[in-house]
Amino acid sequence: MSEEILRALTQLFAIITKQDGGVTENERRFVLNFFQQELDQDSIKEHIELYDKFSGYKEQQGNVQTVLKAPSVRDSIQTLGICKKINKTLTQKQKVIVLIKLLELLGSDNNFTRQRMEIINTVSTVFNISANEYKVIETFVVTTEMSELNFKDILVVNSREERSAPLQKHQRADIDGNLFFLRVPSVDLYFAQYLGEGSPTLNSFVMQHNRIYLFSHGSTIKTPAGTALYYSDLIADFNEEIKTTKLSFNAKIQEYKFRNGAVGLRDVNISEGPGKLIGIMGASGAGKTTLLNVLAGLEPPSKGEILINGYNIHSRSDKVQGVIGYVSQDDLLIEELTVYQNLYYNAKLCFASSTEDEIHKRVLSVLSNLGLDQRKDLKVGGVLNKLISGGQRKRLNIALELIREPAVLFLDEPTSGLSSRDSENVVDLLKELSLKGKLIFVVIHQPSSDIYKMFDKMIIMDTGGFPTYYGTPVEAVSYFKRATHQVDSNRGQCETCGNVNPEQIFNIIEAKVVDEYGQPTGKRKVTPMQWFEMYKEKFNPPTQPDEKEDPPQSLSIPSKLKQTIIFTTRDLLSKISNQQYLLINLLEAPLLALLLSFIIKYQSAPGGKDYMFRFNENLPAYLLMSIIVALFMGLTVSAEEIIRDRKILKRESFLNLSWNSYLLSKLTILFMLSAVQTLLFVIIGNLVLEIHGMTFAFWLILFSTSCLANVIGLNISSAFNSAVTVYVLIPLLLIPQMVLSGVLFSFDKLHETISNKEKVPIIADLMASRWAYEAMAVYQFKENAYEDAFYEYEKSASNADYKSAFLSDRLKRKNQFLIENIGVTDDSLRYAMSIGLAQIKKSLVNDSFKSKTTTVDISTLTLDTFDEEKGKEVASYIEEFRKFYQEEYNKQVGLMEKKMAFIENSGFNLNKEKNEQFNESLADLVKNVNTKERITEYRGRLVQLIDPIFQDPSPNHLMDYRTGFFFPAKSVLGMTISTYLFNTIVIWIMSFLLYLMLYYELIRKLVKAASRLNFLAS
Amino acid sequence: MNRLYISGTDQTPTVDLDKQNNIFSLEGRSLTDDADTFYRPVIEWMNLYLANPNPATCFTFKFDYINTPSSKMVFDILTLLGQIKGASAIWYFREGEEGIREIGEEFSELVQFPFKERPY
Repeated sequence: MSEEILRALTQLFAIITKQDGGVTENERRFVLNFFQQELDQDSIKEHIELYDKFSGYKEQQGNVQTVLKAPSVRDSIQTLGICKKINKTLTQKQKVIVLIKLLELLGSDNNFTRQRMEIINTVSTVFNISANEYKVIETFVVTTEMSELNFKDILVVNSREERSAPLQKHQRADIDGNLFFLRVPSVDLYFAQYLGEGSPTLNSFVMQHNRIYLFSHGSTIKTPAGTALYYSDLIADFNEEIKTTKLSFNAKIQEYKFRNGAVGLRDVNISEGPGKLIGIMGASGAGKTTLLNVLAGLEPPSKGEILINGYNIHSRSDKVQGVIGYVSQDDLLIEELTVYQNLYYNAKLCFASSTEDEIHKRVLSVLSNLGLDQRKDLKVGGVLNKLISGGQRKRLNIALELIREPAVLFLDEPTSGLSSRDSENVVDLLKELSLKGKLIFVVIHQPSSDIYKMFDKMIIMDTGGFPTYYGTPVEAVSYFKRATHQVDSNRGQCETCGNVNPEQIFNIIEAKVVDEYGQPTGKRKVTPMQWFEMYKEKFNPPTQPDEKEDPPQSLSIPSKLKQTIIFTTRDLLSKISNQQYLLINLLEAPLLALLLSFIIKYQSAPGGKDYMFRFNENLPAYLLMSIIVALFMGLTVSAEEIIRDRKILKRESFLNLSWNSYLLSKLTILFMLSAVQTLLFVIIGNLVLEIHGMTFAFWLILFSTSCLANVIGLNISSAFNSAVTVYVLIPLLLIPQMVLSGVLFSFDKLHETISNKEKVPIIADLMASRWAYEAMAVYQFKENAYEDAFYEYEKSASNADYKSAFLSDRLKRKNQFLIENIGVTDDSLRYAMSIGLAQIKKSLVNDSFKSKTTTVDISTLTLDTFDEEKGKEVASYIEEFRKFYQEEYNKQVGLMEKKMAFIENSGFNLNKEKNEQFNESLADLVKNVNTKERITEYRGRLVQLIDPIFQDPSPNHLMDYRTGFFFPAKSVLGMTISTYLFNTIVIWIMSFLLYLMLYYELIRKLVKAASRLNFLAS
Repeated sequence: MNRLYISGTDQTPTVDLDKQNNIFSLEGRSLTDDADTFYRPVIEWMNLYLANPNPATCFTFKFDYINTPSSKMVFDILTLLGQIKGASAIWYFREGEEGIREIGEEFSELVQFPFKERPY
């Protein structure tokens, strides 16, 4: 109390007492008493002199007349002035206490005259204490007649059976006289007064008759007969909300075992109703957090059950949905969002049925309740760049749970790392909540005395998960002192200051046996088991009968679509407000495109002076690089997404939100980002390298690839717990994509178990890069403005050329081989012959060419019926075949030349067009011109190696989509689909399948299963 | 802003609050026990005036007698006056009426703006 206030109070005392009859000895003694409580000896003298001066005590001694002067307006104005001064410094609570002190002062001599009361009334109005409340306070102090105490804010405790007035509250207890309790609701203060002959104690101090005591958190009143009245029980009587809340929480945990088999908790039985603030304490490793997690339903007990209103929270989770709130020790804030936004989006996810305005108001009211309204537009910030203080962060974390008003709330060390002031604020807040009917469990570590006393009950755990105490906090100290036969065991708190030292408890619990030199040994005096035995004897936890109603719920979860929208907006906002993230992600693509295309753009034109697209030999490599870039960007941008949200997801798991909605929101944002990134990349890359007419086609492929990478990234991000693991995994995912893209290493020159000369190996089909690359290369070659005009001619010509120049030659040799070996019985030779015959049949029978001169029916040929005659017929068939395709080739080439001439004649520069549109290196690649053999035998079949880009797929069955690399089309279900379209679809199907894996968290489950196996093995 | 004029009785003072003519005065006897009700329009008027005051506001009090509840209301008026820029007050007392003068003195200690006691 400041000097100024004390002076003001002294004046107030003086002004009031000098009215109507002047100061009496009793009153002066009361003031003296007050000073003795507040001041040291020297100051008392000074202040009592001041009091005497103001009150005219001295003059009064000499001359009675002056005192009896009519009450003056002047005193009233002085009072106003003093109160105005007090108003500026004291809190409302302190003002209420001052008011009660003033009334008590008059009560000390029962001199409540009109003038005096008028002044006190003035004080009360200036203090902004409502008239109704003043009336109750006044009555409480002034009246001794019980029946006049007819207020709902007054509780009478006596030995009578019934209340004395209809509104007053009443409790029966074995006590001499009457105990009165007053609640001042506006400031949430309680006062106690005792009228009677007995000597009950308040916090171990004898209560004097007719004195008013502040009845603070955790106080206990005991009667000489041994009855104990606890703060929380008395307070509950005032509280309508607690009375009307239907809530029962019954936990019977017989045993809880960790995954490794160690016992975490044994025989913990907890039974509580609404409106309780319950602390859980214990040495480190005693299982506090474990207990909290089991109670909150995060981990099911190995043996036992947890019932809320009779519903098992595991088997009937539908009934308790949204009833439980959990605030973990971790920070669960979205750092990039403001305080308001964090809370707002959380509220949106909880209250689907509320309007925008209601949610806004709700958020603002929670913020102001937690004293965060001034900070609402500040960004939360990370651990490193703190923008709001630790206490504010903690309060915001609690606010996230509070806003949906769960009936049972669990908090894991909400005060850790907070200043003592912040800690007190937080616990104060929890206390207030419990008084609104919530049941709150708090793991608390090294609480201060004030905080410790605020709890209604304390559960104390000992090493190994043994419960050792379950009861009121202040009693705990006495209990442990008694248990170890310490002196002074009846006093739980300090006699003079009322402080409790909770550390004492642990000193007793963990006290070590001392050796003969006085050094503590490692052995404990009382083992956890022994404490537990005592506990079992001593504590029979109260049984709260199971409520029959459904637990109170305030939750209404929005539809899945709405959730997606809310998640997306929230995520989008947080990303947009993270400038670094945004900048890097949007600049990455254009920078890479610029770097890549700039470096590989060289003077490629013949003569080496200019750049010419047609002769840029780097194009094939560039296409591969752009796919890698798309994959890389897609992976990196998504790989951390879920890891970062894990904690938030854990909290939101109490809401039963849709995992699918969450994932879809992630995908929406990532896909949008990928679309922008790849578009920027393609535009810049194509611009620099002068690739014409490919923007959309390239973009679609790169976009699809990037999206696939996004889904892969989310998969690994959901599977692993640390960002580092994920980034180490990225090369593991990317390198195979490069190796099996079909560009760096040809598919026919891979390890024999993989390699395939005819078709793309299955394992490569698993690579998005191979599909993307093929699509881009085929599309660029086939659909560029130049080739587009001639592709069909070239294709026919290439086919005819292959058949006349290479296939017919090979068939002729096969036929010759058959003729030479007619009648041979050697098995291996006959096998070779049968293959040769099959090749001839396959090549000729399915061909559109049909001989008109020969009579042999090739389709019916068998080795047994094959003779020299037939051999000759076949030979001439083949020759006819060759000639036919020779002519066909000439015809197609002729047609093409004619078309070229026609185009040139119509004033079009074909050569220029080719220089700009056509790329020789890419053409070489898709035509496979570098192959030594044009035709080869692979697994008994003749395979055309040259010109894959001009070949048609020849499916063996309906689902046989497989072709060689760079085929222009694929066949599936009897349909022929262009490679570009087909490959795009394949990439999206892969994305979809990966999404399913993500949805079911297959990889995460796999990783978990693997780690469990690992554990078993060790 | 409308002028607020209430003629005085033997229990209540004459009130004249006139923004246009820059008159703000309370004059007479204030003895009513129900000061709250009587002074409510005055407080309301002051609250409105507060939003858009004249550059200078000189409030004059000329009480013959004032009781405790009324003094509380005067205190409220002075508190409101304290929020106005350029506010001042003159407290008139009949020569020799020490009681009224002393009340003025008390008030003058509570306000931050110019407050003069003058005899008439």
